[in-house]
Amino acid sequence: MMMDEVTRLSEMVENDFVREWKDEGKKVVGYACVPTPVEIIDAAGLLPYRIRALGNPKTDIADAHLARFNCSFCRSCLQLGLDGTYDFLDGIIETNGCDHLRGMFENWEYTKPSPFFHYVKVPHQTTKDAMDYFEEEIRLFRSAIEEGFGVEITDSGLREAIERQEAIRGRLRTIYEMRRGDRPAFSGAEALSLFLLASAVPPEKFIELVDAAIEERKDGGVTGYRARLMLAGAASDELELIREIEDVGGLIVTDALCYGARAFWSPMDTAGDPVKAMAQIYLGDLLCPRMYDDYPRRRDFVLDAVEKANVDGVMVMHNKFCDVHGVDNVQLRLDLEKRDIPVLQLEKEYGSSADIGRIRTRVQAFLERIGGK
Amino acid sequence: MIEALAHAHTGMFDRVAELFEVIDSLPENMSDEEIAGLLDFLPPDSAQALGAMFVPRVREGSIAFMRMLAIWLEDAKSAVGQGKKTILVPFCFPPELVHAFDNAFPITSEVLSTLGVVALEGQGERYYDMALGLGLPDHICSSNSIEVGSMLGSNDFQPQAIISAAVGSCDINSKTHEFVARYHDIPLFVLEKPVDNTERGLEQYRKNYCSLIAGLEEFLDEELTEDKLRPVLEKHNRCTELYMELWELHKAVPHPVPALFALYTYGCRFAMWGTDPGVEMMETIVDVSKRRLKSGDYPADREVARCLLTYTSFYFDLAGMFNWMDERGYAYMGDGLNMLFPQPVDTTDMDTMIDGMCVEGRNMPMTRQMGAPSMAMGWSDDVITAVKELSADCAIYPGHHACKQTWSAAAILRDELMKRTGVPLLVLQGDSWLKRTTPISVIQEQIDEFIKNVVVPKSSGRKKVRHRS
Repeated sequence: MMMDEVTRLSEMVENDFVREWKDEGKKVVGYACVPTPVEIIDAAGLLPYRIRALGNPKTDIADAHLARFNCSFCRSCLQLGLDGTYDFLDGIIETNGCDHLRGMFENWEYTKPSPFFHYVKVPHQTTKDAMDYFEEEIRLFRSAIEEGFGVEITDSGLREAIERQEAIRGRLRTIYEMRRGDRPAFSGAEALSLFLLASAVPPEKFIELVDAAIEERKDGGVTGYRARLMLAGAASDELELIREIEDVGGLIVTDALCYGARAFWSPMDTAGDPVKAMAQIYLGDLLCPRMYDDYPRRRDFVLDAVEKANVDGVMVMHNKFCDVHGVDNVQLRLDLEKRDIPVLQLEKEYGSSADIGRIRTRVQAFLERIGGK
Repeated sequence: MIEALAHAHTGMFDRVAELFEVIDSLPENMSDEEIAGLLDFLPPDSAQALGAMFVPRVREGSIAFMRMLAIWLEDAKSAVGQGKKTILVPFCFPPELVHAFDNAFPITSEVLSTLGVVALEGQGERYYDMALGLGLPDHICSSNSIEVGSMLGSNDFQPQAIISAAVGSCDINSKTHEFVARYHDIPLFVLEKPVDNTERGLEQYRKNYCSLIAGLEEFLDEELTEDKLRPVLEKHNRCTELYMELWELHKAVPHPVPALFALYTYGCRFAMWGTDPGVEMMETIVDVSKRRLKSGDYPADREVARCLLTYTSFYFDLAGMFNWMDERGYAYMGDGLNMLFPQPVDTTDMDTMIDGMCVEGRNMPMTRQMGAPSMAMGWSDDVITAVKELSADCAIYPGHHACKQTWSAAAILRDELMKRTGVPLLVLQGDSWLKRTTPISVIQEQIDEFIKNVVVPKSSGRKKVRHRS
């Protein structure tokens, strides 16, 4: 079964395809945050790999660098960076996603410098000045990759990379559309597996896998759930957490997560100026609470998804000490409640098995509250 | 008045303003007996804080500081009646810009929270709890949530707009102010400092600053002219000169500047820099410090250690933190919020003035360090500069739990400090504005142990003779 294979691959940091890629003498560049223009990496013949922690609960090495007041997702990623799990990366791209993420990158680079390191500075607004600045950042990023890896990124190569990455995003949008019906084709955990794989294997391999999965599930599948839920909030790539929520009957049918829909919802203009097209989706359309004076777009994205996926209730979650989601989620909860959309606001520790029992209980109570059978 | 001070539903601003009305009406030269009588009349928390501010060595400076704040609060209160708009600003924004407008008055979020903690019975806890009652997480910063908790949860003074200038250097500050602006449906002006100190980054900041000015002009229906900006910046320059004098005084041994003057300096910077009351307050604390230098007065038998605090201090017990350090001989060389590095502004024309204001904006504490391309290196460089210039024996990071960005850079700061200066760093954990997190007795104990076991042996050379075989 294709989805079993997808699930197996998605549960590994260094998966079979990454190993094959490296065995062929090719290089892998890691990044963590949505506004990283991966097309530049792809166009250079490098594999863009989105850093993840996959629910890793161990943070003992990272805790000597980041503090317990820093988000456990970032500490967990740093742990894997410092314990050698990410030694297959040939380069790292920093973005100023949030204070914790900046700290993660700074400590990683300070303690264990990467062969290549570049910082893409992403503004927090979408004014014309900010968009112009970000376009220049993309150009600088291109030059840095060219120089750092001794390659030339041609305009035609960049256009091809844009088309490849857009094909990936398009397939992910299809996966999400296939979850809208009464018998969603994929569970939330399966959708997350596909999403994780999309940014961890070469594009053509992903297209093969995802097309096979789409074919396998074209007639729909999941039944017997108690309620259709939407997940919104902080960075989470925890397959186990989603499985626990679905295990008690709350089927995740859509999301507003950065390891999820927020990373691919906006289609890229593949015909226009490549730099402008990238600036538009990576900054202009960025749906992240790190952006200021932009909350209505984030709210409307959630409301639209609630309607399209026929959602019964929304879970808004943030990892402990996550400021940007911790505050934004309050506003979102107030706005959802105003529209009589049931909402559960949850704070959790990333990757903590000790937290799972509590979360199960909260979800069960939420399902009862919203009338899930 | 006392009844209003104690009412739970009364907003923090109103309570603080009422207390400062009383303080402002006190006679200039009060005797110790009169002060003791006043403190008896006040609720215990207020009496404890004001008692710390009235100890003889800081009394003159404290009175000047309180008078400055009384004017600030009174001006804020009367602003609306005069057709002005009050604008909430963060501590990392130079308020001179707002002072230069006729139709606006700046209220600094963190200064107000600190006053609430320092001066009110029950400190700021009830307002912090109001913020949490809305569902805001307990890891938000109390320096903001105390003040905004009052705004959100009580019938308190409300600003007409907010300037958010921590974007790029502090998520929680920026998010909290964005939340308040949405909650009250008031305009939010965002001033972002790009995490980029190249020419391109500086130019971007200038564009952002000019956009802010244009936004304020439209909102206030008032043009910012040279004639309005110049007198404010001339006073800014006078404050800056006084700051530089104070910085030089910090270098003296024994240290002549009382610890509380660090707080008064940045209290002025964040609220009244570029105003006459601000200049007067700065002149007073410089004058007092000079006299102390001349007389050789020192509050302890000897200077035991020269300590630089690397970020916010602890404000919930002024006697237990600031005065205690003075009296133990732990010279308080300033803290991270004193790392302002102000520059005089060239007032030749509008362009030079805006250039100067941009430099000031970028150099405000936190913006300068955490808004640098590398938080850890921006911060380390400044701390190390201060350690060297002021001949500090040790550094203390008073870790405020909500400062996630400094927490994530503290390990690098510790390593860099040790590598580049050999100066040790003590890492403390607590909440700068809430006593319920770590009591002052624990903080004192940790500082004592650190100085006794690490700093003093190191300074006296005992640690240097220890060799590994």
